[in-house]
Formats: sequence, C-alpha cells, structure tokens
Amino acid sequence: AQTTLDEWAKDPVDPEIRAHVYSLITALGGIGDDGTYSLGDDALLCLKDLRRWLKLADGQHNRRDVARCMAEANLVKGDLLEILAKMSDNLTNDIRKQKIAVATLELLVPLTWPYEIDPVEATVNHHRHGPYVQLAQIGYKRSILHYDRAKILRTAIQTALPSMAVPVRERSPRDEGIIRIALYFIRNIVMLSPPKSIPMDIDDAEVARSAVIDCLQEQDIFQVLLSVASSIGDDFVSQDVVVLEILFFLLKGIDAEKLFMQEKKLSSKNTAELKELIQKEKAMLAGHARHAPTRHNRFGTMIWLKQDEDRVSTISGQDVLGKAQKTIQKMDSTKKWNKPKHTGRKRDADSSSEEFDLPVALTSSARKSIKTFVEEFLDSSFNPLFQHLRKAIDRENERVEMRHPRQYFYLVSWFLRAECARRRTMKEKAADSKGREPLAAEDESYGLVAEVMNQETFILLNRFMQKSEDEKAWQDLNAAMKCFTQILLTVHEMSESALDEDQEIAENIQNRIFYEETTHDRIVHTLRSYKDQGFGYLDAVTELAHVFLRMLERYSKQNVDMQVRSKRRSRKIKKKKQAQAEGQDNGEEEHVSETEDLEAMHRAVSERKFDFARFAAKFINQSSVNTFVAFTRYYNELSTEQLKRAHRFFYRVAFKMDIADLLYRVDIIHLFNKMIKGPEGLDPQSPSFKEWEEFVRHFFRAVVKKLQERPELAVEMLFSKIPATIFYLEHGYDKELPTRT
Amino acid sequence: KVPGDDVLGLEEEIKVTKKKLPIPKLNNELLFSDRGIPKLRKISKDRLKLKGKGHEYGDIARLLNMYQLWLDDLFPRAKFADGLLMIEKLGHTKNMQMMRKAWIDEGKPRDKSDPEDEV
Repeated sequence: AQTTLDEWAKDPVDPEIRAHVYSLITALGGIGDDGTYSLGDDALLCLKDLRRWLKLADGQHNRRDVARCMAEANLVKGDLLEILAKMSDNLTNDIRKQKIAVATLELLVPLTWPYEIDPVEATVNHHRHGPYVQLAQIGYKRSILHYDRAKILRTAIQTALPSMAVPVRERSPRDEGIIRIALYFIRNIVMLSPPKSIPMDIDDAEVARSAVIDCLQEQDIFQVLLSVASSIGDDFVSQDVVVLEILFFLLKGIDAEKLFMQEKKLSSKNTAELKELIQKEKAMLAGHARHAPTRHNRFGTMIWLKQDEDRVSTISGQDVLGKAQKTIQKMDSTKKWNKPKHTGRKRDADSSSEEFDLPVALTSSARKSIKTFVEEFLDSSFNPLFQHLRKAIDRENERVEMRHPRQYFYLVSWFLRAECARRRTMKEKAADSKGREPLAAEDESYGLVAEVMNQETFILLNRFMQKSEDEKAWQDLNAAMKCFTQILLTVHEMSESALDEDQEIAENIQNRIFYEETTHDRIVHTLRSYKDQGFGYLDAVTELAHVFLRMLERYSKQNVDMQVRSKRRSRKIKKKKQAQAEGQDNGEEEHVSETEDLEAMHRAVSERKFDFARFAAKFINQSSVNTFVAFTRYYNELSTEQLKRAHRFFYRVAFKMDIADLLYRVDIIHLFNKMIKGPEGLDPQSPSFKEWEEFVRHFFRAVVKKLQERPELAVEMLFSKIPATIFYLEHGYDKELPTRT
Repeated sequence: KVPGDDVLGLEEEIKVTKKKLPIPKLNNELLFSDRGIPKLRKISKDRLKLKGKGHEYGDIARLLNMYQLWLDDLFPRAKFADGLLMIEKLGHTKNMQMMRKAWIDEGKPRDKSDPEDEV
C-alpha cells in the first residue's frame, strides 16, 4: 500500500471528532441500487446532527476541526449537492423534500461562509486549518457552479419560494430564516474568491467572476435579485443588506463604462488597447536596446569618471562609453543601499476580499448578461433599494454592519457611472440613426437615479466622509470619495442635458453641494493629508480634487455672486460672545458690542460671497503638490485620463497661479526630467506625451531663469519652501509687512 | 592557583569585542559641514554653467548632475532619489530652517531699503 504524508503526519483533527463526523456522513446516504444517490433512513436527522456539530463543537471550543473534517470527507460534493439534486424536481409541492432541502442549505451556508480569522478570538487551530478550508471552499464554489445534474442555486431559491410567497406581515421567523439562508447562499458563492496567499490547483476561469455571472444568468438568479430588490420595502424588508452584498461582490472591479459600449466600439477599443500595449512594449524594448551593450557580457570595459580635486570613480561596462549622462545614471543605479521604506500598518485580512480597486475582466457572454441585468436593475430597482438602504444606514439599523456603508457608497458610484455611460451610448445611437428613433421622454430625465441625488444622501455622504476621515478608515473614505466624484460628474452631465428641467435641477444640486464651505475644506484637507494609503486611494483623492475644482470653477464663473455658508465666522461670534460675557461689568462697552454683535450675527446669516481665487490658493500648497507628485511617480502605469489630471494640476500651479516655487525642488525636477528624457520615461508616441513635454520644457525654462536670477535657489531647491522665503524668491525683496502705528 | 601568579595577566584570555563601525548618517551635521551645503553653494556659483533659453533640457541635466555628484560625494550610500528625500525631510527641522534663512539673507542686497527706494 502507498503511504502518504497524511498517514505519516499527526492528524491535526481530534480523532474523536473525526470519528463522529465521519460516521454521520456515512449514515447520510450513498449510491443506491439504481445507481443514483439514495438517502439514508435518517438522513434528515443526520443533516441536523451535522449542523449541530458544525455549530456547537466548532463554536463552543472555538476551533475549526469539524469544518476541516467535512472538507476532507468530500461532504459537499459527495453528498449535499447530490441530495439537493435529488430534491430539485417538484420541490415546492413536496413538504418532505422541502424540509431536507432546507436542512441541506442550512449546512451549506456555514460551510461556504467566507473563512475569516478574527484577530481577537482566533486560536492556533484557526490558523492551522485556515489554508485547507479556504482551498476547500473554492472547491465547493467550483462544484456548485459547475454541477451538471441540477441547478443548485436555482434549487436553493426554490426552497425559499414558498416562504417568499407569504405576505411580509404573516411571515414566521422560520420563513424569514429560510429566505435569509437562500440569499446568503447566493452571496457566499458570489463572494468566495481564491485566497491570494495559497497556490491553488483549480483553473482560475472556473471560479472567476465570468463563471459566476454565467451561472446566475443560466439559473435565473438575476430575476430573483431583481424582484427582491424592486419590491424592497413592500415584500422584503431586512433583506436589503444581503442584496447589497450580493451586488457589491458581483459588480466590484467591473468597468461600468466598458459595459455599455457598443459591441463594435468595444472591440475596436480593445484592439486599440492591445495596440497601445504593444506600442508601449515596443517603446520599452527600444529604450532598452538603445542602451544595451553591443558586445558580449565579458568584454570587460572599465572607465573612469573624473571628478573635482583629481578624484575618479570607476564604472564598468561598455554601455556607458562615450555617454556622460548614462555614466552618471549607472553610477547611481549600481548602489546597493535602499532607503528603508515605511510600509504602513499591515492591511487586515478582511480588506482583501473587500478590495474594489482591482479591475476584473469579463468574457463577452458574461458581459452581455450582466449588462442586461444592470439595465433592468436601473430601470426597476435602483431607486427603491438604495432609498431603503439609505434609510437603514441613516437609522443605524441593527442589521447594518460596519462594511455596509462602504459597499453602499461604492455601489452608488458604480451605478451612477453605469447610468451615465448608458445614456451616452443611447445618445450616440440616436445620433447614429439620425433621429429615426426619437428619444423617449423618460430616457431623457435622470429620474432613474434620483434617489441618490437628494439632500438626504448628500448629508449622509458628508457625514460618512467626515467620520471615515476622522477614524482613518481609508477604504471607507476611498468609497465615499468615488461616490462624491461620480455625483459631481452626473450633475455635470445633467446640466448639459437638453431638458430645461434637468438643467434647473442640476443647478439646484450644485448650489446645494457648493453651498457648504465645510465641504470645500474637507476636499482640500483630504488632498493635502495623503500618506501611503495605496494607489487606489491616491487615484480617488486626486480625481475628486480635480473634478471638484473644475466644476467649482465653472460654476462660480457662471454664478458670479455665488454664496457659501462659512462656519468660521459663526465661531468668531461665539468667541466674541464669550469675551463679552466675561467683560460684562463694563456697561458702556457692552452697549457698543451689542450692536456690533447684532451686526456680526447679521453677517453670519447672510452668507459670504464665494471667491474662487482664494479657494484655489488654499487648494494649491506644498502638501497637495506632494500628493500629486506621488501620483505622477506612477506615470508609466497611468492612463491618458490620469496623466491629464496630473498635468492640469501642475499647469495650474506653475502658470495659472504663479506659485511655481512649490515645484522648484530637485526631486520634482528629477521626476519630470525622467518622464521626458528617460530612461524608462513616458512613451513619446503616447497621446499625453506632447502636452507633458511642452509643460516640462516651459517649466524647466522657468527654473533655469529663476536660478540665474537668484543663486540662493540652488540650496533652497533641496527643500520644501518656507512661506516667508517664497515671496523673496519670487520678487527679490521681502514682503512689506503692514506697519502698525 | 596562587593568587598573584598572573600579575601580568598573560593567562587571562583577552576578550575581543568587535565594535560595529558606526554607520554614517545623513543628518544636519553632515549637511552643515564643509562638504555639505557650503560646498554646494560654492560649486553652484563657480562651476554650474547654464546656457539659458533654448537649452532647457541640457541645463537641467547639468543641474541634476551637479546635485547628484555632490550628493554622491557627501553621502555615497544613498541613491540619488533616496538622498533627495532624506535631505528634504531634514529641511523641516528648526536648525535647518534657520540656516536656510541665513543663507538667503546673505544673498540679499545689503541695504534693504535700496530696492524699494528705486521703485
């Protein structure tokens, strides 16, 4: 007999537990006389017992032994799925079948529940079984998605159908439980994703998002989701968060813009992308080839670089011969020491499954079905579901957990993006057919997403942004910023709509958004306080800043006498009041200050006139420059759109606002020079290269000119400037302070 | 053993403790030393030749090379980009800010009221 490592190693599971669980699994059933699966005599009791084991043995002793045993015994594929398949026909009418199906689901849901290691509760045992169980769960997912004899997900929903049919008031807790279990089953299947840290011997495509979407489409689960979501508040109440989670894990990472592109355009876009990538690679290879040695690698050239005071440095390699610039670069790149980097706190395990900044690719069939689903969802369910969720989050309902607001805001941004993309394609289509298909009036209004464009949502969003910023919950803030950006963009598109009504509404919304000065301050503050939060966050923060500034500029130009409500002023009044209270004994003064106070109160009520120049000045300073520099350092991975964003910002700093001193720093100059002149610079063929080249040339000219004017800058260029010296460097004399007499 | 037998301490084993060489640090002291910023000020005045208009990239390359060679001489350990970040950080210390102000004031015209009078 063959001995395996398993036999040789010590069993990690308590043998007694293993014996009990195995005997139960054996008693569950097996291949019967007719070759199909046949249930054991007490199958139902066995199922219940197994569930009890899973719940009590694992729960009480805080271990995961039972889950591991069940994974090793192939319970899911060998028994549970077989049982569900057997139950699947004529399920709704047969009470016994129904019972068994429910019991099976009750076991399947905890088995597929995403394995989390709780940092507080976890024991050694959790870490020991973690990798095995996680891999097993991916196996479960695969067998459920690709089970060929029955539609498992469909059966799960069918199990819950009788309970769903009961009106919400008459539903028993058991009914509610069954509905919840069926929906959580769907969520688990959508949510499970291959663990990053463990190698897996399953084909990725079998458990990828596309496979899930195909499966949901084939088993009509989308219809169920739509009908639950559209009747939320009427027939369903507490299910909103589960639907939210299903949607989140279904849609995160999918590019909403691409989803709504027409087939032809999409393929041409994909070809263009491929071309772009090939071009990028070509440029990269060409860049390498230019510097590659022309002879074999043992040719052994060595050169001296003469420095001052008759010192020399030696550099080896023929590639540097005759190229002074290259020599100096090589001198630098051969250094071995790296500045130790602070990597920040380790991300918790939870965030990896919640990560939404990673793009997901779809097959064309999955794309088609998810597109149909999203369209129908927008038409029927978006408003009711998101309104219901907003209320639940607002009231801090018990069922709303920490992660739900984040998912909510991410999905709002996702759907707004999708809706805008859809309208654009519809417009294009209408333009293509030259008015043969006149747009329906309904298509023109933004009513379909109105529920997230109202004041209540803005208040919730603002509060959430503030809270997550205060608590340093960066992923939350990331989602909120994405949402806010998307709202701004949607409003922008609305204001360009053909309907007067839409324009008016957009005007109104903008007025409300830009009215609060705290919002302006918050945007500035988040931009300025970026520090190692990862690229997804950096992208979100710069995009929000860019969009906000542009919209605000436009809006304040259109509405010259725009007003903002400023809080600072009222605080001043409070202080004044306090001071007044302290100095109340002075009778005369009190009278004077009372009138003053009244005047001040009046000022607080009538808002301040908004001054864009002042805001922009606040917006652009050393820390926001640093944030954008950190963003630009990724230049080789940025899209044209993102490069444009950085370009506009630096252009504004250097030439529009005339505070280029913020950019006179060697590291920034080094970065710009590298972008244009390489090595590993921007591809000269890329669309954004030209404007960047132009900007950098202008900027460099300014640097050189300034340096000739003020030699002191040579030292100052090493550092961020002190405000007092900026003025001197700019003008050559000190700022005249207003002298007080 | 008789006490006092080993007066010279020949029998005793000598413990050799290797002292780790202190790793040079890039700090304010280093920057204030002769090889630091004073030298940069000198070479930026004497040796840096900028051609001005039309030669932007060449000028900038010369400028960057000057900084790189200076930094390599000052603190050979660090790569250029790393070294720049470290120096930038030092610029936030109080001493450095005071020195920076002094360096700038040296370059200012002696009589402060002069330029304003001309205007």
